[in-house]
Amino acid sequence: MPMDIGETISVIASFGLPYRIRPVRFRWSGKLFEVKDVTYSWQTREGQNRIYHFSISDGQTLYELSFDTSSLLWKMEKVEA
Amino acid sequence: MDAYFASVEQQANPKLRGKPIAVIGSGGRTVITTRSYEARKYGIKTGMNVYEAKKVCPHLIFVVGDNEKYTHTCKELQKIYLQFTPDVEAYSIDEAFLDITTTHHLFKGPEVIGQSIKDQIKKLFGITCTAGIAPNILIAKLASDIAKPDGLKWVKPEEIEPLLRNLPLQELWGIGSGLAEKLEAFGIKTCGELGRAPVSLLRNKFGIMGEHLKAMGMGQCSRPLSVHPGDPKSIGHSMTFPKDLSERKDIEAEMLKLSEMVGRRARRYGFIGKKVTLIVRYPDFETFSKQTTLYDYTNSTHEIYKNALGILNSIRLEKNVRLIGVSLSSLLRDSGQMLLFEEQRKEKALLQAIDAVNDRYGDFKLIWASYLEQTEPPRVISPAWKPSGIRHINVKR
Repeated sequence: MPMDIGETISVIASFGLPYRIRPVRFRWSGKLFEVKDVTYSWQTREGQNRIYHFSISDGQTLYELSFDTSSLLWKMEKVEA
Repeated sequence: MDAYFASVEQQANPKLRGKPIAVIGSGGRTVITTRSYEARKYGIKTGMNVYEAKKVCPHLIFVVGDNEKYTHTCKELQKIYLQFTPDVEAYSIDEAFLDITTTHHLFKGPEVIGQSIKDQIKKLFGITCTAGIAPNILIAKLASDIAKPDGLKWVKPEEIEPLLRNLPLQELWGIGSGLAEKLEAFGIKTCGELGRAPVSLLRNKFGIMGEHLKAMGMGQCSRPLSVHPGDPKSIGHSMTFPKDLSERKDIEAEMLKLSEMVGRRARRYGFIGKKVTLIVRYPDFETFSKQTTLYDYTNSTHEIYKNALGILNSIRLEKNVRLIGVSLSSLLRDSGQMLLFEEQRKEKALLQAIDAVNDRYGDFKLIWASYLEQTEPPRVISPAWKPSGIRHINVKR
């Protein structure tokens, strides 16, 4: 079962084709993680805000990150325990 | 799409791939909405509850569905279909009909279109789908069902009769177990037999439907694609609660929320209605509905709620409440006519202000105070969800 986290985190991402946005590395709980695979991505809206969601894997654990295009903040949404 | 919700979850989480999984809702009384092909091998069926499913397959993995993932993917799929024809009917969240009659020659034929759609979906989302190609949607649906999963089947006109000859009735889209039983009473067990049955016999038993059934048995279908659906007949929302409600104030608060959902959707799409219906379901699934006709057309949350409450006050609830539904019908397009009374104008301005805030910051950011104490019920996506139009509803996970 995934664990809800909801923490703002720092992410290095690449913007541009072919993926438009793709997280590459992220720092969470003082550790740096490398994104090995983006397994799924989707978008939602909260009012006028568009939010991009990414299911990602560092090769061991599955995470869900989100990027709010209004605040330009990344969040660690969930971690697969 | 093949086992749509389950395939999306297996793609999103590599640890679930190749395993029997079932997608369920987040509520305590949830049932299986989709199961993976691996789970189907164990006899897991849609609609089973968790307890039943665990008995059949103890190592089944349950995944709480994420509606936003599925609705976003569905909207993206729509963009792929529209590359090949403007005539696309999003039949449900995981099924679409494309009329390629006038466009297939631009893409080297129907099979190339089918394969291209499959390839794009696989590349973009990592999930599979099955394409059925035929002269009409009845046979296209059958072709798709036969070729599942990850298939592509083209049934040409001359192949329809042999395909239907010995096909059991229930394999055909639109013939359920009840209808099949009635037909079997006349000795009609296969689609071929249905197609050969005398139309007088079918008309005597099923009325005008008899002719339609005979045509189905012959593989004919004249239903056009519903590319631009007409105006809705009603706008409604219902909720099954995690626990049966017994307190009157809780029931009223839920009715207020449903009235707001109905009113907001009516206002967003520019409809006003003259009839309000309240639906109540008890824990034993006994369900009743009652309707009231308003003096004037409305899409005001308060008017809808007031009339739904009037219905509730006119009945005696005999048991706790499992589900409540509120709907607005006898709809008209709102012409934006000026309101005569100051009170009405103030209410309209208030609703516009509330809608503007919720449009900007998200649904239910500004809510009626009496709803504040309610816990959020699990959100279940309706099979009637559409990627656009009035059946498009913002869903949350």
